[in-house]
Amino acid sequence: MMKKLSFTIMLYIGTLIWGADAFGQGSSQQDLSSTILTFIYNNIFVLLSLAVLVGVVSIALKLIWAFIDMQKVKLADQIGAISVEPSSGRGESTSFLRRLYDKAWNMAPVSKEENIDLGHEYDGIRELDNSLPPWWLWMFYGTIIFAGAYIWYYNVSNNGPNQLQEYEIAMEVAELQKTKSLSIQGNKVDENTVTALTDEASITEGKDLYITNCAACHGQLGEGTVGPNFTDKYWIHGGSVNDIFKTIKYGVPDKGMVSWKDLLGSSAIQKVSSYILTLQGTNPPNQKEKQGELYEPKVVEPEAAPKTDEASPKAEEGTKTETDAPKSK
Amino acid sequence: MANLETFSYDNKVVRNFAYATIIFGVIGMLVGITAALQLVYPSLNFGLAETSFGRIRPLHTNAVIFAFVGNGIFTGVYYSLQRLLKTRMYSDVLSSIHFWGWQIIILAAAITLPLGMTSSHEYAELIWPIDIAIAIVWIVFGINMFGTLIKRREQHIYVAIWFYIATWITVTVLHIFNNIQIPVSMSYAVNAFAGVQDALVQWWYGHNAVAFFLTTPYLGLMYYFLPKAANRPVYSYKLSIIHFWSLIFLYIWAGPHHLLYTSLPDWAQSLGTVFSIMLIAPSWGGMLNGLLTLRGVWDKVRTDPILKFFVIAVTAYGMATLEGPLLSVKSLNAITHYTDWTVAHVHIGALGWNGMLTFGMLYWLLPRIYGTKLYSVKLANTHFWIGTLGILFYAIPLYWAGWTQSLMWKQFTPDGLLQYGNFLETVTQILPMYLIRAIGGTIYFIGVIVMIYNLYKTVQSGHLIANQEASAPALEKYIPEKNEHWHRWIERKPIQMLFWSAIVILIGGIIEIIPMMMIDENVPKIASVKPYTPLELEGRDIYIREGCVNCHSQMIRPFRSETERYGEYSKSGEFIYDRPFLWGSKRTGPDLHRIGGKYPDSWHYNHMLDPTSMSPGSIMPPYPWLLEDDLNTSYTPAKIRILQSLGTPYPDGYAEKAVEDLKNQAKKIASNLAKDKIKQDNLENKEIIAVIAYLQRLGTDIKVK
Repeated sequence: MMKKLSFTIMLYIGTLIWGADAFGQGSSQQDLSSTILTFIYNNIFVLLSLAVLVGVVSIALKLIWAFIDMQKVKLADQIGAISVEPSSGRGESTSFLRRLYDKAWNMAPVSKEENIDLGHEYDGIRELDNSLPPWWLWMFYGTIIFAGAYIWYYNVSNNGPNQLQEYEIAMEVAELQKTKSLSIQGNKVDENTVTALTDEASITEGKDLYITNCAACHGQLGEGTVGPNFTDKYWIHGGSVNDIFKTIKYGVPDKGMVSWKDLLGSSAIQKVSSYILTLQGTNPPNQKEKQGELYEPKVVEPEAAPKTDEASPKAEEGTKTETDAPKSK
Repeated sequence: MANLETFSYDNKVVRNFAYATIIFGVIGMLVGITAALQLVYPSLNFGLAETSFGRIRPLHTNAVIFAFVGNGIFTGVYYSLQRLLKTRMYSDVLSSIHFWGWQIIILAAAITLPLGMTSSHEYAELIWPIDIAIAIVWIVFGINMFGTLIKRREQHIYVAIWFYIATWITVTVLHIFNNIQIPVSMSYAVNAFAGVQDALVQWWYGHNAVAFFLTTPYLGLMYYFLPKAANRPVYSYKLSIIHFWSLIFLYIWAGPHHLLYTSLPDWAQSLGTVFSIMLIAPSWGGMLNGLLTLRGVWDKVRTDPILKFFVIAVTAYGMATLEGPLLSVKSLNAITHYTDWTVAHVHIGALGWNGMLTFGMLYWLLPRIYGTKLYSVKLANTHFWIGTLGILFYAIPLYWAGWTQSLMWKQFTPDGLLQYGNFLETVTQILPMYLIRAIGGTIYFIGVIVMIYNLYKTVQSGHLIANQEASAPALEKYIPEKNEHWHRWIERKPIQMLFWSAIVILIGGIIEIIPMMMIDENVPKIASVKPYTPLELEGRDIYIREGCVNCHSQMIRPFRSETERYGEYSKSGEFIYDRPFLWGSKRTGPDLHRIGGKYPDSWHYNHMLDPTSMSPGSIMPPYPWLLEDDLNTSYTPAKIRILQSLGTPYPDGYAEKAVEDLKNQAKKIASNLAKDKIKQDNLENKEIIAVIAYLQRLGTDIKVK
């Protein structure tokens, strides 16, 4: 699972950069008219990250230079020289980055501070008249422009999708993906075609699914608690594999049985149904009283049913294509 | 300087507030650690209603915000205000009323919240009598502050005080409007606003509680204590002006970013997003002005723990105020909202900005008012490193947890099914993170203990200078300098400062809230949505009492991953009878808006008795008292009457019939439970029946599919 998770994280970092509003909805790309604004919005993270990066880097540089200054003062102290004003000398440097950096901050050097002392004094605190850091000011203007553009795009011109349109788009994309995925797998089992599986892997998987999803109401051993007992021969909605499959798939809302078709999917429901059938006659403690009608399987030994041998490899194929599906995308 | 006047500063009130800060800091953090551990070991509530997570989570937040940070604000304000204005506080009596009044309020909160008396608005949970007490004490503080401003010996008021003034006026406005309620009993009141409107007002409040209780007063403290400790001039006066006014103007608009993708109208959500983005620069203005004030003394930062605390505090402030706007961008909000990411984010602010600044301030100020030196600089340095480590151990696991859980919520299989259909799977996955977070919190707390020892030793070595002598020339008539900065004018006039601050902070609130109240189109009505029955209403009040909203949202956002998991997305028209709204802000458990009819009544009964019986591994605590306690129906008619007066369409005279209706519905549910072999004496009169009635009603008024 961790592997899958890290894959998703990578996927999401990908979408984070390329498709911003695809995010809320899972993942997908959208065919919106390629206006500049769409570009800005879809790349808002790149642009914002750049802005942030500029800020963070400039602060980091600031700190580094401050530390270098500190070292200079300290070294000078150690060798007994008169400590030099740390920022002097740097101003003459003409490297492009250095000039850009100075421009971005536009700070008065510490040595020339008295020139910009405003003469205000509050309990010993004085105030300098340094200008607003230009990069900060430009960032501020940038966010104001962004705000105007955002409101115009989403709420005035209504070019951008609102949240319900986003939702509809996401649902359409999901539907397409689903059909594609299902067509790769071929037809899926339904309540008419379902057969009980008997291979160990499927039963174990069915058991895991049962413990996670069903045991809360039907008991860890199928003895029944809120929901009915699975270990006796009495069934409220029928005891054939088809009936059980159907009950799980659609639920019985009036009696509190949830529909699981959107939560499990048909292959998982098939496995759970098959596992439930294996509970017959296990006679666990604390059984709930019998409910519904007696059901005797037509084939005396469900395990020995000839059909199942065909069913299991088919199911295995199914799972294989399932795992392959993401790669083929 | 002919007429030099001598006077004294009141240090006693500063000392009192400082002690209260420390004591309530310890309590607030201990409750926080308990709550954090309960998420991993639910049995740590010892089976008591009073210590269950839903009740102590608000206790933690209130204790930290209003008791720890609140007293921290007052410590710093009472210390700095007197010195910046060169005068004693206006009235020692008012100072004393303010101090004791605030502590009594905190005590009342510490009693009522565990008892389940709550109005459920986040960070405004206290019941109406306490709300009134807060308003009175806050106004006492205001009178004392403005009295001091009026008798000042300093011509101009310093930037720190601008922030204090803005804080005072904004908190007054927010507190009053978010707590408009009609009392039913001493501990219960009906909210004036419902549903979407209530949500908007609450988050206008909630967001600005962060802005004007945790941020602006602390910026004021930073502007005093940081230059004092560094002995450096403030970097830029211009930056102070621009970032002050833009900050208070923009902050007030940003509330709706707590409601992105909810049923709040799109226009209001967009305002929340863009104003949050525009807040980056004003917030960073504060950080830059603080950090750049340290220019030239970075060598001092290496040795002076107080400056270290300030540097981390200001940096944490900068990080949190960058993160906040980014989280307000819809696409990122879609991932982080309702997860632990939010919790991590606020703790960067609380532990980093508020906590570290408070500690630095205490280390600086207590030795001074005791006329002594800090007992041990080394221990203060140790505290600094422990505290910083604690923050990292707290925040990183929660960022991880929030991100992980959110991706799990949104993960689909290629067949278009939820990969983690069972919500619980996504919770158990992050439990190890919760444990590390609790350890991180404990580390931070150990740092505080180290500080207490250090400060205790410091105080022992000196004596409180209760009245500290000072002298300053009397204020003379001021002749403005030529070419003075335009802003100097308002700095001489505190009342104008108050007035303009009030105007600036009112604009955003008015533009967002008034249309939501007046224009019906903002909340489209749905014909099939009906008022709650009396039993459901009582069940809802129990839901509020138990603080269920702290872990369960009732707001399904229009995302595929949510509609597949929970059902049709929530519509604003569904909440028109919800007073207060219960959308929640964190999903420690699943959303409950469409829980109605999903499980049988007996499932809920068993689940409340022992959540793990229905969901093995659940971290929800059991609620056995709901099965033991009888439902109190004595206020039911009064509640119905008040709801009617607010426009809930119950038939005329229904209040008299309400209890009878309630009993009938309860009987039905009890007999339903009996069918599932759940028998208990007097079952139909128990609270659990009302809770089941409410839960089964939730989200069932509209039929989809």
